[in-house]
Amino acid sequence: MKKSTFACVLGAATLVAGMGQAAELGAVDQPIKLAINEWTGQHVTTHIAGEMLKAAGYNVEYVTAGMMNQFQAIADGEIHATLEIWSSNVSDEYANKVSEGTIHELGDLELDAKEGIAYPAHVAELCPGLPAWEALKNCAPLFASAETLPAGRLVDYPADWGTPGADRMTGLALPFKAVPAGSEGALIAELRASTERNTPLLITFWQPHWAMSAYDVKFVDLPVGEEACFNDPAWGPNPDAVNDCDFAPSRIFKASWSGMAETWPAAFEILTNYTLAVEHQQPMMGAIDVDGGKVEEVVATWMAANEDAWRPVVDAAIK
Amino acid sequence: MKSLSKGSQAALITLVVGALCLLLESMLPWLTSYPKGWELAASDWVGLGVKSGLDFIKPAARMFSTLMGYPMAAANSVLATVPWPLLIAAAVALGWRLGGLKMAAMAAVGLGLVVMSGYWPQGMNTLALVAVSVPLAMMAGTLIGILANEYPRFREPIQALLDVMQTVPTFAYLTPLLVLFGFGPVVGLIASAIYAAPPMARNVLLGLQRVEPEVKEAAVMAGGTRLQQLFQVEIPAAKLQIMVGVNQCLMAALSMVIIAAVIGGFNDIGWEVLLTMRKAQFGAAMLAGSVIVIFAILIDRMSATLALDRRRLWDGRVALGILAVGLLASLALRSSLPDPGSYQMLDPVAVWLDSWLTDFTRANADLLTSVKNGIMFYVLLPLRIGLDQAILPFTWGFLWTPGMSLWFFAAAAGTALVLGLRGQLTLGLVVLIAAGILETGVSQLPWPFVLIGAAALSWVAGGHRLAILSTVLLATILVSGLWERALLSLYLSGAAVFACAVLGGGIGLLSAVSPMVWRVVRPICDMLQTIPLFVFLIPVLMVFQIGEFSAFLAIIAYAVVPMIRYTRQGLIDTPEEMIEAATAAGATRWQMMRDVRAPYAAPTILLGLNQTILYAFAMLVIAALIGTTGLGQSIYLALGQADVGLGISAGAAMAILALIADRIVQGFAEERKRALGL
Repeated sequence: MKKSTFACVLGAATLVAGMGQAAELGAVDQPIKLAINEWTGQHVTTHIAGEMLKAAGYNVEYVTAGMMNQFQAIADGEIHATLEIWSSNVSDEYANKVSEGTIHELGDLELDAKEGIAYPAHVAELCPGLPAWEALKNCAPLFASAETLPAGRLVDYPADWGTPGADRMTGLALPFKAVPAGSEGALIAELRASTERNTPLLITFWQPHWAMSAYDVKFVDLPVGEEACFNDPAWGPNPDAVNDCDFAPSRIFKASWSGMAETWPAAFEILTNYTLAVEHQQPMMGAIDVDGGKVEEVVATWMAANEDAWRPVVDAAIK
Repeated sequence: MKSLSKGSQAALITLVVGALCLLLESMLPWLTSYPKGWELAASDWVGLGVKSGLDFIKPAARMFSTLMGYPMAAANSVLATVPWPLLIAAAVALGWRLGGLKMAAMAAVGLGLVVMSGYWPQGMNTLALVAVSVPLAMMAGTLIGILANEYPRFREPIQALLDVMQTVPTFAYLTPLLVLFGFGPVVGLIASAIYAAPPMARNVLLGLQRVEPEVKEAAVMAGGTRLQQLFQVEIPAAKLQIMVGVNQCLMAALSMVIIAAVIGGFNDIGWEVLLTMRKAQFGAAMLAGSVIVIFAILIDRMSATLALDRRRLWDGRVALGILAVGLLASLALRSSLPDPGSYQMLDPVAVWLDSWLTDFTRANADLLTSVKNGIMFYVLLPLRIGLDQAILPFTWGFLWTPGMSLWFFAAAAGTALVLGLRGQLTLGLVVLIAAGILETGVSQLPWPFVLIGAAALSWVAGGHRLAILSTVLLATILVSGLWERALLSLYLSGAAVFACAVLGGGIGLLSAVSPMVWRVVRPICDMLQTIPLFVFLIPVLMVFQIGEFSAFLAIIAYAVVPMIRYTRQGLIDTPEEMIEAATAAGATRWQMMRDVRAPYAAPTILLGLNQTILYAFAMLVIAALIGTTGLGQSIYLALGQADVGLGISAGAAMAILALIADRIVQGFAEERKRALGL
């Protein structure tokens, strides 16, 4: 029995592409535990998935878990799925667990993410010529601080997320020194202080993020990245360096405990086929972070209004 | 050579090594930067070793984890299902029984605020964690304490173990704990028990050692077995000291709960603080953090009465009455009682705090920037990279030339010569060494100089055993490849400790002189010590941006407290006879302070300095969240990448620096005590 279910699920997993195939529900009385990480967008993503699973007849539990530390728990089957992993910010631990076979990747969330060098809108007045990246060459002293003099200061990601901002500055030979932020809170505090004080700020940032609209953050236009940019120094505006272009697009994907397909075949199929668009996620983030709504209520309102966006995925798996 | 004092000899050796390094620097580049080829891949080995060790004990640990899950779930469901009016009534009743009207009122107001803030459910989750971790820590601590008391041979290794448990940053061992015990609140529980057990163990040992010999002899004569002597005579006799341990243990567990929240798995106050910190919402973070402060103050004040010599229990009937009122209220309101998480009456306060911060940064932007630049340019940068690199046209307005270096050294040599001729040779030599350090910068000191300097200082403070210990421990950092980061950490915490010593000493002095000042300072100290450290970071960041200066301030805010407390304590504790004698001799108030109180207080003040050093190192890890680059950052990198080896190596390096500093200061304190005949 178990074997045949598994085979059937394997079939389902290979056949995905949106049209799904009805699967058994599996252990409906056991709760499916979904990871709640540290940021609001992920809360929205996870709660929608959770509601979809509930609509299919499952029992769902939300468990708070640090983004970086959740993978051990997923490998052990103490958490069953996490639904918003950013390729730009994922630990080696994840790759290890996937190759070990204890974590199973569930495919893309299809949330269209963008990372880049950014600035709050008022900075364009201080450094005319933005968003063209060439403008930064002459504006650099404006961004200087006590630690970086005479170079300008770029607030980069925390060190454990990598140094993409510093790589861009070196690649484009811009006179900026990258300072790692240490944490997301530190990045937001910088954006907030800069907006409130009307001071210059150059920062490595990403969307979807609630702060994009709250502080009116704009991206600097960098040469569009191609594969060659990252390996071939000759490519791009700087003939002597790689990385003289925009960020490589980041991928956002989902992953589950390896035993999920066997325990809850239909839930596995629902989560595999689940996708969410930025246009849907970003307004919900705003409703929560800016207007102070509760995640559960905001998600419930959206689910009621956008039934056609999620119902087919559930139906395909259970009917 | 024999005619020189110990201090002068040590200073002379250090000076010679430093001068040699400076002279040979250009010829032998390996003096300044330790060659990569000489490093051992220690963190990889540690990682491999620990990993295989972990796999070995993993099944047992997982079983323990499952076992601990039961009391955890029980505590949690009790606290979550009992209606809040009843819980508050219980706390108020307990407050009444232990401390009368005042404490009852404190409990009522404090917990009332928690309900109003809407953080009641999260607060109860936090308390559930503390309720399980504290008994665990107390049991472990008591066992360790008794063991050290019974077998004097083990005393020294046990002391070292306790030091390690308190100085290795929790973040450094979170990853191995996760692998061992699996995901969830049990990891936080164990982490907080590890941190909370040492104060318990130390106080148990101290209490048992202080039991009067006559009492012990009486027990021996009564013919009890050793166990009977211990449990029926000695432990009851040491009860008060052990209760101090219980109090300290509770406070330590509470402060660690927040750190444990980084893992998640438990919707507690720490998680709430992390979420608000992520959004840089100062007001909300402050509000969530205050819940911890309220718990800490209530637990501290109530458990402190247990350690009182003659404690009074207030009328139990009143306590029962309060409890009955709580029960009736919960029964009457049962159906109409809304979810305690839904109250958000204090939100306007949070909003107000946030807008106050905004207005403050906006109004004082220029002033604050110039303060920051001033301290960066004239203090921190020269200390880190040395005068020769820190002085540039756009910082000091001119360029530092080699000629100026010569003049600088000549001036230092002149000062040293004058001091030497006046009989203060040691001080003169120290001036020269300081000049050398300032010229080079702490982060670029040649490693032979640091090793030998530390060894010489340890030798003066604690003899050749300490000197060998310091050298060996520092050498392990050197070969593990974490040297540069360790120097950066040393520089930042060193600068902060120095600032704390000056600032905290001053405030402590003022508080000792004027009770008015102390009345203002004391609650601030309480708050600074119990509020989750993360909360400080937001305002500091908003005002001073990411970087060393913000980290410097955050470290000072936390580490200055023990300096203030101990300075004040030492200064007001001078025995009456000495004061009377000085008054009779006609000493003025100032003379009394300088010549009587200050020397007598020196050992206590040194103990405060010691605590300040340990606190500064503890805060370094948190400060890495606002972009410092020392060992703290390595620990975060390791936590993010689940790199067990790097985490443990960096944590160990941090503990080594803290331990050496601790031993050296304690050595000097012992010497002062002996000189005073204490």
